[in-house]
Amino acid sequence: MPPRGKGTQVGRAPGAAPASPRPALPREFIAQHKQRRIMDALAALTAEQGYEATKISDIVKRAGVARKTLYDNFEGKEEVFLAAFDAARDEVLRRVEEGCADAEGDWRERVEAGLGAFLGFVAEQPTVASMCMIEALSATPTTTRRYDDAVDAFVGMTRRALPEDDRLPDTTAETLVGGVIWIVYQQLRRGEAERAEDLLPELSDFMMAPYLASA
Amino acid sequence: MERLPRGRHGLSREYIAEHQRARLFGAVATVLDSRGYAGATVSAVAREAEISKSDFYSHFASKDHCFLAAYDAAVERLRSEVLTACESRGEWAERVCAGLAAALAALAAAPAEANLLLVEGLCAGPEVCDRFRRAVASFAPYMREGAPGPAVAGAAPVAADEAVVGGVASLLGRRVLAGEGRQLPRFFPELAEFALSPYLGVAEARRIISAG
Repeated sequence: MPPRGKGTQVGRAPGAAPASPRPALPREFIAQHKQRRIMDALAALTAEQGYEATKISDIVKRAGVARKTLYDNFEGKEEVFLAAFDAARDEVLRRVEEGCADAEGDWRERVEAGLGAFLGFVAEQPTVASMCMIEALSATPTTTRRYDDAVDAFVGMTRRALPEDDRLPDTTAETLVGGVIWIVYQQLRRGEAERAEDLLPELSDFMMAPYLASA
Repeated sequence: MERLPRGRHGLSREYIAEHQRARLFGAVATVLDSRGYAGATVSAVAREAEISKSDFYSHFASKDHCFLAAYDAAVERLRSEVLTACESRGEWAERVCAGLAAALAALAAAPAEANLLLVEGLCAGPEVCDRFRRAVASFAPYMREGAPGPAVAGAAPVAADEAVVGGVASLLGRRVLAGEGRQLPRFFPELAEFALSPYLGVAEARRIISAG
């Protein structure tokens, strides 16, 4: 079973009084907030019990929304999962891009910054990371494809961050990303996601190894 | 694998049972390859193996039981190829290269099995995924054993063996998914370089690979 990770923000229990008088919020904002709660609830539940075992009734209960609300926003469980996956993937890509862009120095700093951003996300949101890197693989055929496409996006990003080297085969970025993902995946399976950032030095070295001369 | 001849053949029960199991394992791989996990029903597998459904159930309680057993058997077959190739070599780098080459050849020669091991292993459900994870992790010690120290001064490739094995498995899975299963051996030079570089540096890795 996937490890129980730290929960992301979940909705307030139904019936709980608001902390202060509610301002008038636009419809869209409220809808997005509820969608967020539903997606967070699904992430937490799949981390605890797996995608298969998670029922719509579990999700709406955890999210503190009506069943109708879920179906107003999503077609069903799979769509919630895909929305949550896409949101997380976009967030990670954004952080990695920002990390690389902000890095001062050469490609080495870029690689370390990008990797650090990824590991930071895993450490900060292990539940969501587990959903994306463990559950997505086998939940449904569509989620598997989403996962593969996300890996492709990371491979492309890695290829752009690494120095050009004609002597290196095309598959270099792919195998490096595969290796990094594998290490992080193992960390998630062991329930040690909070320490993901400890992996930064050795994973940076691993990513740079094909480009550096021997000692 | 051929069905046994009909009628009395004087073969022991155990032999027949083993033969049927082996045919079932082959059938699982074949049916998965053509139909995917959802389409690999007990009927389809039994039909492919040319045994009756009741005989299927005398071996396995369910499709999943059969699937998991087939997976384990395929891992052990691959492991046996790799270890046989390794044991004839002395130097660490040569062993790694021999093992890698043997794995690529074995996978290329059996595309349905390669699909079972590397593709279905990831996407057919949490139980199989767990098998995949443990199988890949079980190959990491072969990399680690006898490996030299860090290549880059100050770097400790603590996770290098796992990262290498994980990276190779990931790449091979993606290639098999792309329909390039039969061409896996052509990835040998780059995968060998990928495997040896964290330990020896790129230059030394290339020297060894081109010499070997």
